[in-house]
Amino acid sequence: MMKRLTLPLAALALTLPGVALAQATDTSTKTVGIVGTVPQMCFAGTLTGSGSFDLGILIDTTTGQLRNDLSAPAQMLVGSFCSSRSTITVSATPLVAQDFTAAAPNGFSRSVDYTATASGWTTTPASFTTSAASNPAAIQTRPTAFTGDIAVAISGFATTGGSSLRLVADEDYRGLVTVTIAAVN
Amino acid sequence: MKRLVSLALLAMALPAAPALAQSTATGNVAIDGRVAPVCILGDPNPALVNLGQLSASSGPRTGKIATITPQTVQLPASFCNFAGSVVRVTATALTSSDTSVPQPGFSRAVNYTATATNWAAGASTATTNALRDGTSPTASGLGSTQPLPKIADIALTLSNFTAPGDLILVAGTYNGTVVVTLGPAAVAD
Repeated sequence: MMKRLTLPLAALALTLPGVALAQATDTSTKTVGIVGTVPQMCFAGTLTGSGSFDLGILIDTTTGQLRNDLSAPAQMLVGSFCSSRSTITVSATPLVAQDFTAAAPNGFSRSVDYTATASGWTTTPASFTTSAASNPAAIQTRPTAFTGDIAVAISGFATTGGSSLRLVADEDYRGLVTVTIAAVN
Repeated sequence: MKRLVSLALLAMALPAAPALAQSTATGNVAIDGRVAPVCILGDPNPALVNLGQLSASSGPRTGKIATITPQTVQLPASFCNFAGSVVRVTATALTSSDTSVPQPGFSRAVNYTATATNWAAGASTATTNALRDGTSPTASGLGSTQPLPKIADIALTLSNFTAPGDLILVAGTYNGTVVVTLGPAAVAD
């Protein structure tokens, strides 16, 4: 009688092996995948201070020619960042008379060239000279993500057409420096 | 199996859309300046015109004013950097350093014409008309307006030297001046 009882139990174990294993331990493991992304993001920062370069009077009024001591404090793009490898590019337009729009007469110019630089982002600042035919240094690459301030500066002013030319009178000479930071793969 | 497929599609969609939208950022900094209106006359060359002896020393005009060759003074590289400028010439007759009233038949003044050219279409001219006693020695004249910024050598010519009434000139040293003014037409006076 005893033997007959044992046989049915063994047969049950053989036909339901999975149930028998679950009952063998109190731990069960499953793996669930998690997927997330951080997009490549860049922020050009907030322009501080006046937000523009005010050079004042551009000429030496005793000669009518461009001052050789022109300068303006650097402007800061505060809190700039890129979340990945990035490039910084600077471009600029010459200072041009806005009201005197006709061609300048002989001996005169209505434009001033300069060099714009954006530093603080890359080891070599990005620079752009408005009189240059090409500006290979205008784009620089940073291999890592970065956050910091970008200093935008202008220098090296020169009368378009030659230093001997006088600048036509105009209350409004304007130029523009554009700094672009871009995430790259 | 169906659920697994849905998760995979979501994972592929997330990295694409937002990353492209914000991966570039731009900051602009404006530059402003201005150029004041300026006119500058070149230094006159010569700065002093020496006419030498003014009176004839022989012949029928002895003692009266001699024929004096026109004199030219250059003001090189004079310029105005704006449109609408004009040259004014103010001439003062030559008068004797002896300021006493000359005796009848004599004059202590020499008149002349000063003309500035090469700025605008119309020259600036002034002819003095001092009396024989040297009074009312000054005259002035405006040229036409130069419509563009210009740089040029302005030529000042002194000519047509005469004595009031063609009288005999009293002995002495004579001095006169010409003032050339280059400026905006609106306030040239």
